Amino acid sequence: MFLKVKLPWNVVVPAENLDAKGPMLQRSIVIRLLDDFARRKATKDLGYFLAVTTLENIGEGRVRENTGEVLFPVVFSGITFKIFRGEVLDGTVHKVLKHGVFLKCGPVENIYLTCSKMPDYRYVQAENPVFLSEKNPKIEKDVVVRVIVIGTKWLEAEREFQALVSLEGDFLGPVSCENPLD
Amino acid sequence: MSGEEEENAAELKIGDEFLKAKCLMNCEVAIILDHKYEQLQQTSDDPMNQVSQVFEKSLQYVKRFSRYKNPDAVRQVREILSRYQLAEFELCVLGNLCPETVEEAIAMVPSIKTRGRAHDDEAIEKMLNDLSLIKKFE
Repeated sequence: MFLKVKLPWNVVVPAENLDAKGPMLQRSIVIRLLDDFARRKATKDLGYFLAVTTLENIGEGRVRENTGEVLFPVVFSGITFKIFRGEVLDGTVHKVLKHGVFLKCGPVENIYLTCSKMPDYRYVQAENPVFLSEKNPKIEKDVVVRVIVIGTKWLEAEREFQALVSLEGDFLGPVSCENPLD
Repeated sequence: MSGEEEENAAELKIGDEFLKAKCLMNCEVAIILDHKYEQLQQTSDDPMNQVSQVFEKSLQYVKRFSRYKNPDAVRQVREILSRYQLAEFELCVLGNLCPETVEEAIAMVPSIKTRGRAHDDEAIEKMLNDLSLIKKFE
């Protein structure tokens, strides 16, 4: 789910970017904020950081004595993406393995659907491996699948989320091509 | 696997900060990110190099998974769904997945049917009808 968030943050502007006043200073703060925002990538609570939409407020700068940098408290609005347990969403298959498939959904690429959560499907080895079912369309690379999230995990070192998903439930499974998606 | 055992979007247990926070539908995010990207195109020769991987992957995703493309239609979807006392999270799941039947809507968002909420099948049916009309006239 995409979320609209409002965040307070501290932006540190190096002394050499401070010489010009007015719009130039504001520009330095914005550039620094966008840079920090992209580098942060994600947090456990808010999910992945997509974009800053508006800079709401820039507070009074405080000089750091040792370095001469100036720290500005800012408040901005932005968009994040987080997946929740129990959420139903569409993902695209990007890797097919013997014991399940990996899906991607926006910035999250490690979404695992194990074969034990794909009722009626069986793995068929081929040049392009595929999961087949008697009743339902096949699942292979690039197929869109509607799934329910059964678990999520935050990896602090990588700043990434992983998720486990399932097809056990009504109206879950491959989304047919006739669907008016495109 | 999840640290917060309590979290379950199907029962609308997703933490207060997210229940109150504004959620966005894929089609709304597509409009915002597209606009950002156009701005970058005007100031840079190689805009894809200016955006983070998270931005790039998300833009691809929302473009692929937006049910409504036209900004007026997107606004109407939110307006119509807002009439049905839905939580932000529920509203956006419905707008993203566009269920066609009442059974499908309840499977996608089980919390709309929980005890104490005012959604009977008739109300849900009317909501889905209103939504499909927007799609038709888009």
